[in-house]
Amino acid sequence: MAKKFKSKKGAERVSLIVAYTVLIIICLIWLIPFLMLIILSFRGEQAGISADYLFPKQWSFNNYIKLFTETKFLTWYGNTLLVSVVVTVFQTIIVLMTSYALSRLRFKLRKPLMNLMLILGMFPGFLSMTAVYFVLKEINLTQNIVGLILVYSASSAMQYYICKGFFDTIPKSLDEAARIDGASRHTVFLKIILPLAKPIIIYTVLIAFIAPWGEFMFSSFMMKGDPDKFTVAVGMKSWLDNSTLMAEGYFTVFCAAAVVVSIPITALFIWLQRYYVEGVTGGSVKG
Amino acid sequence: MDLEYLKMSPLEKFWFNFKNFFKRLPLSFAAFFKAIPKKLYKLWLAFAGIFINIGRSAKEGDWKTRTSFAVMGFGLIARKQYLKGFLYLIFEVLFVLYMVFFGWKYLVKLGSLGEVACKTVTDPLTGIEKTIYYDNSLLILLYSLLTIFIAIAFVYMWYQNVKGNLLSQQFTEAHLRLPTSKDDIKSYADENYHKTLLSIPVLGLVVFTILPIFFMIFIAFTNYDKAHQPPAQLFQWSGVDNFVTVLGGGISADSKVFAYTFGEVLLWTIVWAFFATFTNYILGMVVAILINKKGVKFKKLWRTILVITIAVPQFVSLMFMSQLLADQGLINSLLLKWGWIDKAIPFLTDGTFARITIIIVNIWIGIPYSMLICTGILMNIPTDLYESARMDGAGPIRAYMKITLPYMLHVTTPYLITQFIGNLNNFNVIFLLTGGNPPLEMDGFNTTAGETDLLITWLYKLTVTENKYGLASVIGIFTFVIVAAFSLILYNRSKSVKNEEEFM
Amino acid sequence: MADVSLKHIYKVYPNGTKAVNDFNMQIEDQEFIVFVGPSGCGKSTTLRMIAGLEDISAGELKIGENIVNDMEPKDRDIAMVFQNYALYPHMTVYENIAFGLRLRKLPKDEIHKRVVEAANILGITEYLNKKPKEMSGGQRQRVALGRAIVREPKVMLLDEPLSNLDAKLRTQMRAEISKLHSKLKTTFIYVTHDQVEAMTMGTRIVVMKDGFVQQIDTPKNLYNYPANKFVAGFIGTPQMNFFEATLNKEGENVIIKFEYSDAQITVPYSMLYKAKPAYLDGKTKVYMGLRAEDISLLPEDIKNSKAVVKVKVSHKEELGSETLVYGDINMGGDGYVESSTRVIIKDNSGRDLKAGDIVDVAWNIEKIHLFDYENEQCVLPRIPEYNYLDCEIKNGKLCFAGCEIDLPEAVKCNDLKGDLLLPTDALTLNGNLKAEVVSHESINGINLSALNMNGHRFYAVNLQYSEAGKTLNSPINIGIDFKKITVISDGKTVIAPLSELNKLNCKFVKRKEYEEVNVNGKIKRKKAIRFGFDVAGKFFEASEDMSQKIFAALGIKKAFTTPLNLECGIYDLAISESGIPAKIEGYLDYGSEKFVKCSVGGSEVYVNTDGEISGEIYLQPNFEKVGIVEIEREIKII
Repeated sequence: MAKKFKSKKGAERVSLIVAYTVLIIICLIWLIPFLMLIILSFRGEQAGISADYLFPKQWSFNNYIKLFTETKFLTWYGNTLLVSVVVTVFQTIIVLMTSYALSRLRFKLRKPLMNLMLILGMFPGFLSMTAVYFVLKEINLTQNIVGLILVYSASSAMQYYICKGFFDTIPKSLDEAARIDGASRHTVFLKIILPLAKPIIIYTVLIAFIAPWGEFMFSSFMMKGDPDKFTVAVGMKSWLDNSTLMAEGYFTVFCAAAVVVSIPITALFIWLQRYYVEGVTGGSVKG
Repeated sequence: MDLEYLKMSPLEKFWFNFKNFFKRLPLSFAAFFKAIPKKLYKLWLAFAGIFINIGRSAKEGDWKTRTSFAVMGFGLIARKQYLKGFLYLIFEVLFVLYMVFFGWKYLVKLGSLGEVACKTVTDPLTGIEKTIYYDNSLLILLYSLLTIFIAIAFVYMWYQNVKGNLLSQQFTEAHLRLPTSKDDIKSYADENYHKTLLSIPVLGLVVFTILPIFFMIFIAFTNYDKAHQPPAQLFQWSGVDNFVTVLGGGISADSKVFAYTFGEVLLWTIVWAFFATFTNYILGMVVAILINKKGVKFKKLWRTILVITIAVPQFVSLMFMSQLLADQGLINSLLLKWGWIDKAIPFLTDGTFARITIIIVNIWIGIPYSMLICTGILMNIPTDLYESARMDGAGPIRAYMKITLPYMLHVTTPYLITQFIGNLNNFNVIFLLTGGNPPLEMDGFNTTAGETDLLITWLYKLTVTENKYGLASVIGIFTFVIVAAFSLILYNRSKSVKNEEEFM
Repeated sequence: MADVSLKHIYKVYPNGTKAVNDFNMQIEDQEFIVFVGPSGCGKSTTLRMIAGLEDISAGELKIGENIVNDMEPKDRDIAMVFQNYALYPHMTVYENIAFGLRLRKLPKDEIHKRVVEAANILGITEYLNKKPKEMSGGQRQRVALGRAIVREPKVMLLDEPLSNLDAKLRTQMRAEISKLHSKLKTTFIYVTHDQVEAMTMGTRIVVMKDGFVQQIDTPKNLYNYPANKFVAGFIGTPQMNFFEATLNKEGENVIIKFEYSDAQITVPYSMLYKAKPAYLDGKTKVYMGLRAEDISLLPEDIKNSKAVVKVKVSHKEELGSETLVYGDINMGGDGYVESSTRVIIKDNSGRDLKAGDIVDVAWNIEKIHLFDYENEQCVLPRIPEYNYLDCEIKNGKLCFAGCEIDLPEAVKCNDLKGDLLLPTDALTLNGNLKAEVVSHESINGINLSALNMNGHRFYAVNLQYSEAGKTLNSPINIGIDFKKITVISDGKTVIAPLSELNKLNCKFVKRKEYEEVNVNGKIKRKKAIRFGFDVAGKFFEASEDMSQKIFAALGIKKAFTTPLNLECGIYDLAISESGIPAKIEGYLDYGSEKFVKCSVGGSEVYVNTDGEISGEIYLQPNFEKVGIVEIEREIKII
């Protein structure tokens, strides 16, 4: 008996060692590209994209200085920040309203509306973009931040799914108790549901805030030809597509820009990680 | 359930279910078509109901109600429901103004999509040539659609108005208390709160999603392309020509190439979606299990390291990767320098290589995310399941096969479906990594697509670079059909699983 | 501080299932009413309808003076305590209790005063600044109670408030809620599935099953006089023993013989006077119920008892103060499984019994309950519906119980022998049958008299003999209301009672009428809208009250299309100059009263009349007494 017990312990130890090794390798694989990105951003010397070394011969902040002085990066950054802040406000409000209505209120068109949004979600988003583009062009909102905000916020209702799932878990008896206490449905929403929805509000805010930073398809289409209105994603892609710039060593500037873009979002993410994880896991499980 | 079924081994069970699924397929199709007459009848009843209601209003209504057939909200105003009544009236006035001054002139040209695009005239005074634009096919189509939407909304409102007026009349006659304007306003914070909450989101959806989708569906039936670009040129209705072209029925060589491209891209799209979904899912689960393994310390640290990589905007990682993996990129340069290879590896420039690279990079991008989801669910598996399995003498691997995996698959089916559908439309990974390249060739000629293009990126190219709007719309419609078909099948499957469980 | 009245309350779901059927109850002010029943019986639905959380499909709900069917919960002046407490997690206890008051915009000082007072009553003052999740289940429930009482509602509704608590706490809270009730002097309506809670707390209990009310009574009456087998089995622990048995009358005794067993007991017939004779034929199966405490193992009881049965002991449950002995009256039976021969005995004798022992037990025959085998209704109702007798009809005379009486014209028939069903309310004081009243009891406000007529026992309800100057055991004259009797011969109904309720198809309609009004000397035609009932083409205007009830029950759109039944008693249809045209089909002469049978449309109606009339007549219903029933859902609207 004792021997068997021991051997079991031994096997456990081996499997733990294997697990740790694999985990360390995984972490390296995931972190090394980002480390490379950071290292490259400090490369001081001019070298084309095909330079065959990683560590800079000369560490410097030149790329960052160049980024903020010679390029339009700061403008793009400002554009993106503005868009994402405003979109976050709109989208959060719209998502919360839609989710509450679909989760708590019962009306004739509830099911059809949910089905409609499901179907609309299946259309490739890009398909509608041309039409939206022409609509916006008619009212002079292309190459315009307001237009971009409008487009991003307009279809937010379709993101209701996870938030509704969260609302569904709040016991209905709370609503009923409040209604007997004298609250209208509006009061229930404001005074009971919203205070309890903090995690999901934070999740929605986080998602809404991050989205414009990574969205490329529509912003590139809409802001085509006006570099002053680019978002960071469009702007940085425009560097990569421009071979003269790349030959001038803009690759390292690109890396610096990538670092600058990543830092605030990553910080925000680490800070609010708990809510993100809750939202993601909660939302994926509910059918 | 059949007792025989319980006896089968997992493989037999799978085969049994697989066979049954296809055996049942014709039956479910038959059931679907059998249900059609009933549904049609119901639809007919609903439709007839509308006219019955209108008829009743005309017959039973007093003069106030009848007047509101023409002057919307009249009966309501006459019965002191001012708020509702005036809203109806204002809506009617706005509609009429819209139609007279704007909508009508576009609507009448919908059939031809315009006759004269532009004319060059010489100013008789100055002698300078000027181009005057007349009809713009695009705007005609767009605004006609808008007008039709608004007209439908108007008809609906008119019908509500007729019903509402009759109801108001009946209330008055029955000596029941009519809601006052104040009650109406209050009801929008209570009984009608859904209308308050949903009006803005739904309006956004209609204008920015539904209307454009309809617009693009109509575009699919026109010859809108580079040679027919408003405002300088008109485009015309072309029937189903674009569909014929995409499906390879066209006569021109162009059509053959296009059909070939469509087939290739479609195939790759499905292959991609399948691999992208399952590699991420399975590897993500493995990582999650590793982290959650009993005895592994610093669980939070491992998880945080991976979660950070989600935080870095996807476009940054993708573009950076595309640079690293380029033919003269850092990785190739380093490998060449170290003498491990003598020729750059065509990570992104050779078709097959590029496809594999994309899937691997996608794993790198996606695993932290799927790991997170799996961790959440793993922690939710009731521990007594494992305890009872241990009591029954199951080892870790058996426990994994018998408990973890089935539980995960069961719980995450909806997630898998959404992931699969998301991957069918995954623009960013492809576009930012390879841009769809290398070009797809047919008999030595370049087609409009690249070897790694998905339907969605091809769509982008067709629109933005090729300006083949009509064809692009057709591709868009097909993409929708494919996605819808997949989700329908998958959702129905998972629903039936759920139902069966309820019965057990 | 209000009474609650539920009249013909129904809950019908869109798919047609009826969760609550024809719930009728008058709850007096300050009563403590308990709804009890197994899950899914509709008790919570009823409570939620009173609260306004569910729509009422039909019927009328009144709280105090107001009809509240369409009132929002917040306007009904009620408070509710939920099973899961439903405390707002983000608010402190103080805020939780004050929430309702704040919404009602009470002044701050008043709110504070009331919250502190409520907290004092419930002993939660020290937790006022805590959040609900920092508290135990019992404390949370107190907060929930506090939130309810602070508003001083007219009615307190409690939906299984104790079922999330552990057993000990539950007993304690039970007492506290009872105390609260006596302190607040408010009407309480309490829902539970636990019959112990119901019995200990309620002043009256409503037992429900499958959406139907089974019995409404005080705890004591429920226990002693269950109306059916379900109530008998549901109330009391351990569950009442049920046996399948047949009853055989032999002289002045009745032998109760058990199925699947050799056991039988004998009881005096006097105990079963109220039972239908058909049950006593020795063939008809019934359920016999006897509670565990009414079976004794004490030797002196066995010695004195006439009903001793042999029981094979299977096992025991020791409860400390007493022992539950499980056994079987079937010697091959197994006392572990509930069956129609299993017996549970509450034993205080301390006898040492072992499994397999066969012992004599004494049955307290005074306490037996008998239920019909088919419909499970009580066979010995407290107020019997009929007197069952053998009878003979000879030369137009009805002979029963040793007396003869002339049959009136309407029920004359050929000579025969048969059974007479004489309803207890068919006995009147104007007749010439000699009888005497032997006993008298008052049950729930109904007077039941037992009569002796030629040695036969009769029951009569509301026989006001004392007002007629008679006393117990003095001879009185009895007559029979022939409208109500039934005579059955050879399985055929020879004389049927006259249906006292006429049903007429009708529709609710709207009519436009023009009346001429004199305005400033000018005569103007003015249109007036009238609502009423269309009965066989004739229009009767409905009162405002009636129309409102119909609109409330059917909605303004369906009110005019739903087929309805007009129900009116035979005395509430008068023959007049105008009205519903009817064709006379025949006469019924009951001697003192006469009726005409006529047909209206497709249905038959009976109308009270003085003299003979012929040909076409017109009927005028008395709209103060008619009922309106929706045919499809069988819902009584008025």
